[in-house]
Amino acid sequence: MGTFQWVWQYIRRNMKLLIPATLLIFVNAAAIVVAPLIGGWIIDQVIGQGHTERLVPFLLIMIGVTLGRTIVRYIYQVIFEQVGQNVMWDIRHDLFEKLQKLDFTFFNNVSTGDIMARMTGDMDAIRNFVAWDSYNLIECVLWFVTAILVMGSINWPLTLALAALTPFIGFLTMHMSNEAHPVYFQIREAFAHLNSMVEENISGNRVVKAFTREPYEIEKFNKLNDAYKARNMDAARVSRRYLPPLDILASMLSVIVLILGGFLVIKGAMTLGDLVAFNGFLWMLNQPMRMSGWLINDVQRFSASTIKIRRMLGAKSSIPVQDSEHYQKLQGYVTFDHVNFEYADAPEVPVLHDISFTVKPGETMGILGETGSGKSTLMNLIARFYDPTSGEVLIDGKNAKDWPVRQLRDQITIVMQDLFLFSDTIQDNISYGNRQAEPQLIQHMADVADASQFIAEMPDGYDTVVGERGVGLSGGQKQRISLTRALVKNPSILILDDTTSALDMETEAEIQKKLSPITQKKTTFIIATRISSLRHADQIIVLKHGDIIERGTHDELIAKHGYYFDTYQKQLGALGVKGGESNGEA
Amino acid sequence: MAKRNTFDEDEELQETFNWSYYRRLGRYLVPYLTKLALVLGTLILGSLAGTLGPYLTKVAIDQAIPQKNLSLLWLLTGIFAALLIITFFCYRYRIWTITEVGQDMLKDMRSDIFDHLQELPFSYFDSRPHGKILIRVVNYINTLSDLLSNGLINLINDIILLVVTLIFMVSINWKLALWSLALIPILLVWTRIVQIQQRKAYRELSNKQSNMNAYIHESIAGIKVTQGFAQEDNASATFDHVANEYRSSFMHAIRVQWALWPGVQNISTLTTALIYYIGITQWGGVDVTTGTLIAFMGYVANFWNPVIDIGNFYNSLITATAYLERIFETMDEEPEVKDLPDSFDLPPIHGDVEFKDVSFKYEEDTPMILKHVSFHAAPGETVALVGPTGAGKSTVINLLSRFYNVTEGEVDIDGVDISRVTLKSLRSQMGVMLQDTFIFSGTILENIRYGKLDATEEEVIAAAKVVRADDFIRDMPQEYHTEVQERGSTLSAGQRQLIAFARTLLADPKILILDEATAAIDTQTELLLQAGLNRLLEGRTSFIIAHRLSTIQNADQIMVVNHGEIVERGSHQELMKKRGEYFSLYEAQYRMLQSL
Repeated sequence: MGTFQWVWQYIRRNMKLLIPATLLIFVNAAAIVVAPLIGGWIIDQVIGQGHTERLVPFLLIMIGVTLGRTIVRYIYQVIFEQVGQNVMWDIRHDLFEKLQKLDFTFFNNVSTGDIMARMTGDMDAIRNFVAWDSYNLIECVLWFVTAILVMGSINWPLTLALAALTPFIGFLTMHMSNEAHPVYFQIREAFAHLNSMVEENISGNRVVKAFTREPYEIEKFNKLNDAYKARNMDAARVSRRYLPPLDILASMLSVIVLILGGFLVIKGAMTLGDLVAFNGFLWMLNQPMRMSGWLINDVQRFSASTIKIRRMLGAKSSIPVQDSEHYQKLQGYVTFDHVNFEYADAPEVPVLHDISFTVKPGETMGILGETGSGKSTLMNLIARFYDPTSGEVLIDGKNAKDWPVRQLRDQITIVMQDLFLFSDTIQDNISYGNRQAEPQLIQHMADVADASQFIAEMPDGYDTVVGERGVGLSGGQKQRISLTRALVKNPSILILDDTTSALDMETEAEIQKKLSPITQKKTTFIIATRISSLRHADQIIVLKHGDIIERGTHDELIAKHGYYFDTYQKQLGALGVKGGESNGEA
Repeated sequence: MAKRNTFDEDEELQETFNWSYYRRLGRYLVPYLTKLALVLGTLILGSLAGTLGPYLTKVAIDQAIPQKNLSLLWLLTGIFAALLIITFFCYRYRIWTITEVGQDMLKDMRSDIFDHLQELPFSYFDSRPHGKILIRVVNYINTLSDLLSNGLINLINDIILLVVTLIFMVSINWKLALWSLALIPILLVWTRIVQIQQRKAYRELSNKQSNMNAYIHESIAGIKVTQGFAQEDNASATFDHVANEYRSSFMHAIRVQWALWPGVQNISTLTTALIYYIGITQWGGVDVTTGTLIAFMGYVANFWNPVIDIGNFYNSLITATAYLERIFETMDEEPEVKDLPDSFDLPPIHGDVEFKDVSFKYEEDTPMILKHVSFHAAPGETVALVGPTGAGKSTVINLLSRFYNVTEGEVDIDGVDISRVTLKSLRSQMGVMLQDTFIFSGTILENIRYGKLDATEEEVIAAAKVVRADDFIRDMPQEYHTEVQERGSTLSAGQRQLIAFARTLLADPKILILDEATAAIDTQTELLLQAGLNRLLEGRTSFIIAHRLSTIQNADQIMVVNHGEIVERGSHQELMKKRGEYFSLYEAQYRMLQSL
């Protein structure tokens, strides 16, 4: 689909506004024609023929027409701007919805700043095109045609001589258009790079400061800042090549009128009044010619931005989000059947290999494993953030791929390792997954997660605003708020990915105790590095390099004397506790 | 904790706008004055050529054509053509130079705001959505582009044009010239009315724009949570709301802004009508020929074009003001922590650290976070901080790296008060491993190298080996050259911590600070890491915050922090003997492990 076709889909929705606005353009154009005509009439009829009684009516018409047409123009300018805003709103809305649907793979490969650039700067180019260039284009064409017609009716040979310049203009604008296109695309790219760099610098400001890398960051920034300037200068180079010739062509009109018109009047083929009127219409011809270069720049800017936006709108999510009106409650059976997984961009590195297990509702599965052994990926497969490369993930006996993904996620909650809190009140953060949550429920769950006390101690309690990503809170506090948020959601399947790692052991034990009546009604997965977090699980698997190397209950794994036992020994030994083999009762 | 701004809250402006902002903006012009003067020169030349056009036409209509003087007509045409050639070259020069000057000024300004941003403290970044900061550095500055490049030059040109045209008009007929200025007062009143409204409207718009940017930014950063909680619909609804607010404030601003033009246009037409009337009826003793009147009408049009342009410039100046005040506001933000005027470089650190009766609170009216904390760490010692979440452990560390200034008391390193030394000399000798690890987009190698920019690949690999990151990095598709994205979302939390660890080690700090640095790392890796680390810690003073008491038993000093105070201190053995808080913490962990 062409760029214009694409944007037309959005513009089309505003027909109710566009049709009257376009009509108003015609009204305005017609009115514009009147003013110089009146000038001619005054010269010819009032001054030339002495009809002084016509002067005041002519002037009143002139004033009235101007008043009318400025109001008309104001109205359609505002309408076009409204259409521009509507189009931009719709595209932005579509982009945002698209973002909500794209899978993790997309976000792993595109920087935040790049997406931001598309949703802000690139949008402006579209707005500018719809709200400004579009009617200027219409006006230009209209003026050009009108001027030719009216001037033709005054004196056609002179008009013909002027029209002879048109092919030159066409030639120049076409070449300019071709040259400008890649340049504007590069400007948008340079802008996205600059935006991404600044975005990262802001997000990573703590690291920058901790390492006193400000000079390094400034150097990086300067490079991109220079590059952005350089790309803009490329555009200036194109403009320098084409705008002055276009301007000259436009001015040539005056020269032609002067010499040719002069001849015609001298030869008596034209009246002086006609020449004055003709001269008065001249701007209607040369204005569009002067503007053509600028419009081309704008159109190319628009076209470059459009490409970037459409690329994102067209990005394919490997996990399609389909809505289903039939809402099915999850019971909580989770089965992995010979599941293998690799990331699409690194197929030679197996992340999970031949994973099989079954967890029933009410059961808890514990997962232990080295850093990067695939634990979090395993969990992401349950909530279908990724699909297995081969094998099947079955939820309640049905392939996860056959479940409507939002329904699945609505009932499966992962407390992720990457804690993210929104810059909002603690209250709103906690009720993020369940906006109708009663205060009592929130209070209760905060108790369970051992968060109620520190929240109460904060300046505004639950109404305290936390920074983006939860800055200002300690790791342990963030973990407990995230846990509360997950509990308030009340999912059928609860996944805790190293949720209590930043807490001391007593707090963790306390939370586990309060959590157990809740987890008995759910299917629960716990990823942890501490044995104390896992020992109560109904079954435990140990992952290494994507393989399950051990499985069983705490006691069974202790008896096995493998990785689990080894870890257990080391954790006990660290405090000088002698590790027993079968005192697993707790 | 400072008051935080969120995406749905407008930012209040700290100071009201004043004219000094324009002066400051003007300062960005100074380096380019010569170029600007040249551009102006070509512009004036060009517009003089343009102004001569109607004059040539007048001569043609008044003399050449009625007198049927062909040679004069040819001469006039020749002059006209020559003028066009001059215009052509002037225009060419102008396009290039003006874009360059404009881009250079934007670049300078962007650079200034970015440089300043590097000096601002954590609290600045923590207290507002990052999207709102981003928009100031990039988007707002871009909005000034036209104003700075074409706007100003055109303004000067327009003023000159206006004056020149006026001189021509006066020289043709001073009475008519005076009459054509009669309606200027109405114009001024109209402009003022529009300006006041426009100012308000654009301030509102910039707020809404900033809010929307903040929401988009946060939505992208938090997308995994949104998808994980199946809250996409709610997020979209909130976005629609934010986008709606932006759209309505935009439309309001546009409606106000564009009201200026019809006013100017109508006043211009009224003036034209007035001149026709006076010129033809010879009212008030005005006596003109037809040719003079026609030429005069040409000048009247020429007179109003710059007036309209100046109006447009004024329009964009008002618009830009809304962005300008935000840009300067950021530039004026005083870094709370900065080098004192007589600060000096901290000499190479031996590692003697002393807190002398240090108290700290974030703001005047907030409670003390630390109360009278004093301790001393000798060079090479390992100091452990234990205590419940929120007790003030991280604050101790933040004060040591001077991320905040102490409210009372003094922090000394090697006997030097750190508030007197340069930040760079202090922080570059310290290695802080934070709870939040941040990975930049780029390769793993580049991320580790961030700790020491001139490190060789061997050094990077050696550091990675010490922290046991080498193994998993080797498993990645391009090993050390594998690209990762911001926040390293394809890496596990433990892997990110290991990379951050390697980065810190590579910096070879004299004082090492580990704030829960190994929480996400599995036991086996952690033990291996610890072994490697112990070697490295020799000779360095280190501060460790940890919940697992097992990791800190060998520390030279253990301090138990609670409610902003050090409640106990001593070695593991001493504290165990004391049977106080540390003892009970230890006992509790011990019992729990035993019950496994």
